[in-house]
Amino acid sequence: MEDDLPTEYDVIVVGTGMTESIVAAAASRIGKKVLHLDSNEYYGGLWATFNFDGLQKWMEDLKSAASENKDFKPDLQDGEQFLQASNQYSTIENIVEDWFISNDEDLPAVLAKNTQTESSEEPSGAEKVDDDKSDKKDTKHWSIDRIKKEYRRFNIDLAPKLLFARGELVELLISSNIARYAEFRAVSRVATCMNGKLTQVPCSRADVFANKTVSVIEKRMLMQLLTSCMDQGADSPEFDGYRDKPFVEYLNTKKLTPIVKHYVMQAIAMATDKTSCRDGVNNTKHFLNSLGRYGNTPFLWPMYGSGELPQCFCRLCAVFGGVYCLKRHLDGVVTSGDKCKAILSGKQRLTLEHLVVGQGHLPPEIVASTGENKISRGIFITDRSIMKGEKENLTLLYYPPEEAGQEAVTIIELGPLTNACPQGLFIVHMTCKRTKTAKEDLAYVVKKFLKAEKLEKNVSRTPTDSQTQTSIAGGESVSKDIESKNPDDENSNNTMPQVLWSLYLNLPASDIKLSESAPNNIHLCSGPDLNLDFDFAVNQAKEIFKSMYPDEDFLPRAPDPEEIILEGEEAPGPKFEGDNSNGENEKQDNEKAEKEE
Amino acid sequence: MNGKEVAGSGERDWALLQPHHRHTQRQSSDESSASRHQATPDHCDLQCKVILLGDSGVGKTCLLTRFRDGKFLSGNYITTVGIDFRNKMILVDDSQVKLQIWDTAGQERFRSVTHAYYRDAHALLLLYDVTKKQSFDNIRAWLGEIREYAQDDVVIMLLGNKCDCGSDRVVRKEDGQRLASEYKVPFMETSAKTGLNVELAFHAVARELKARAKSQQDGHSDEGSFNVHDYLRQHQAQKSDNCFATNCLS
Repeated sequence: MEDDLPTEYDVIVVGTGMTESIVAAAASRIGKKVLHLDSNEYYGGLWATFNFDGLQKWMEDLKSAASENKDFKPDLQDGEQFLQASNQYSTIENIVEDWFISNDEDLPAVLAKNTQTESSEEPSGAEKVDDDKSDKKDTKHWSIDRIKKEYRRFNIDLAPKLLFARGELVELLISSNIARYAEFRAVSRVATCMNGKLTQVPCSRADVFANKTVSVIEKRMLMQLLTSCMDQGADSPEFDGYRDKPFVEYLNTKKLTPIVKHYVMQAIAMATDKTSCRDGVNNTKHFLNSLGRYGNTPFLWPMYGSGELPQCFCRLCAVFGGVYCLKRHLDGVVTSGDKCKAILSGKQRLTLEHLVVGQGHLPPEIVASTGENKISRGIFITDRSIMKGEKENLTLLYYPPEEAGQEAVTIIELGPLTNACPQGLFIVHMTCKRTKTAKEDLAYVVKKFLKAEKLEKNVSRTPTDSQTQTSIAGGESVSKDIESKNPDDENSNNTMPQVLWSLYLNLPASDIKLSESAPNNIHLCSGPDLNLDFDFAVNQAKEIFKSMYPDEDFLPRAPDPEEIILEGEEAPGPKFEGDNSNGENEKQDNEKAEKEE
Repeated sequence: MNGKEVAGSGERDWALLQPHHRHTQRQSSDESSASRHQATPDHCDLQCKVILLGDSGVGKTCLLTRFRDGKFLSGNYITTVGIDFRNKMILVDDSQVKLQIWDTAGQERFRSVTHAYYRDAHALLLLYDVTKKQSFDNIRAWLGEIREYAQDDVVIMLLGNKCDCGSDRVVRKEDGQRLASEYKVPFMETSAKTGLNVELAFHAVARELKARAKSQQDGHSDEGSFNVHDYLRQHQAQKSDNCFATNCLS
């Protein structure tokens, strides 16, 4: 296969993170010639999702990160300057990986016998492994070997994010017709921790009214408050005098009962005591706006993980002619005056009008500040949900700091239905702003919800069916009542999810800034940010696109395949009738779907 | 995921952003296009996602266009631009099977196909060009990717395309056959230009998928009900005249 790329482009995009991929798609969509590179062999950069093996390989590669070639001497023309790309702004730190279970050989003989049922693999792409069936009938224990063996059944996110059902990304996916490349699952419950107990937050109007822990008066107070947030947002005169004060101060004036205040603060607005009233109200509005569109909660999760989404945009870019090349390193950029003229990559000089570059490839010369908001991440494979339910749930839990010096932690728990893990397991993602190391930052929450201790070899934790989890652990029967679960209670230790494997890491800050003197046709794309959703990336992509092509449409609807008539195939006869009516149909369909929900 | 699930998708609570992705709702919006192109009823018993794979220039898009529209794209279509996926309804026995056939969008050129492309594919046609040795040699690498990212039970078929090439041929049919049997996948030589075996290839995967869906419905094991190898052997024999006529065997 030839290695040489065409050499002239309108837009070169380096890095396949979320923002980069959206910009690439938008530019390609309006007919610009786009080259999209990534130095990795996978899509997504720090937004990627890996299977278990891929994640291990990713960590290996970090250890042996290629030392940069300091003596790179390109051929330059007069007046040109070469700025070498650096990977220092995408550095992953403080990786700590732990196993809490044993290898096969360390397990009691009876169990070990069950774990190796498959013969050696055939050298065939067509092999048909009956994993599905063996999963259902076996009750074998999870060992390190078994998890490694089933590596393909894991989809583990570096930067897990949800979509608000009426957030920027969902609207964009629909309006651009890119939604056809992805599938989603609704988050099935929003949980909150009240008085040490996990409880499900009533999200819909029906939920609120059905809720027995809230009195009628409280319900009325709650609806009143939510309505004022909804109608005018933070601009409502209701919030005069409070906008820049903490949200909690405003709530205190409303004489809310503790339960209502808790729901509003911790589940709906996801606010801490420091969150401003403006942000609190806006968060509340965002949450409420997205209710009732899909499923029970305002949130969607991308099937197979967040890392799928950049790929959807890349696909669209490619369909409209964008050139894709992975495993292609950016050596550096060639500038002349206040413009970037070209990049150098793999011995080629590639010219461009605009360079869109992820933060992992920036030359240090054009970076003004490296940003403050670094991210602490924890990823856990567990054997049951943090909160029992009748069916498998996809859970969001916001956990505010317990004491000064701690940061609020966002917890997303994924089950097998999202393809995050095999049957019988869960993946728990924790994310917070970094203050120390990831492990230290998250320790107080891990302790609260998970049992992260080595599993004793001969203690048998009854394997749980992930759907219902009516488990008997350590010989004690567990009450079905969620409310009775108290993690502080010593006896309940056995009901807490056992961590089989954990990984901590720190991601770089996303609020990195370019210096004033940076060429104005270089556009910076940030890595994953601390927010729960993708709005930051979508908005950044829109801004970049607008600064490049102020008069062009941003990702207009891509045609459906049947609307495309091949050139020369037929005389340009009557246009496909769908063009107008199709939009109508879709609208109707949308409405229909909404009613159904 | 498999054909069965797609056919009976009613109970899935996946929140799909585009309602017409739901098969129950899709039909109304699809009606006009389906009837316009193929004059078949829009009802479908089974919907399958078929993806095309293989090096640049082996004729993936041509194969798709030949099958979908009965036309051969010449000259101008050097790389795949604008072809995302196409739908075609075919009749397998008495069932309507809707094939949604995805093209690579050119991302294969520098071996950069998104992993998401492989997801949920029920069948996969892997192509090489009998006039380009390199495209044949790369088949192993493609099979590696398939194994890593596609579903375990994806139906794979190896196709040696451009078999109308006459003396330009550099990959012998036996070489293709040997490789296919090594990986235990069915194999055929095709020509998007003449149309040889193109229908057959798509029909064979459709039959296989339908048979699987049926055996799962009936609660039988996957084995036995349909054998793609046998099917090809029978049907290729009938067409062998064609094959000689176009110098398929050199």
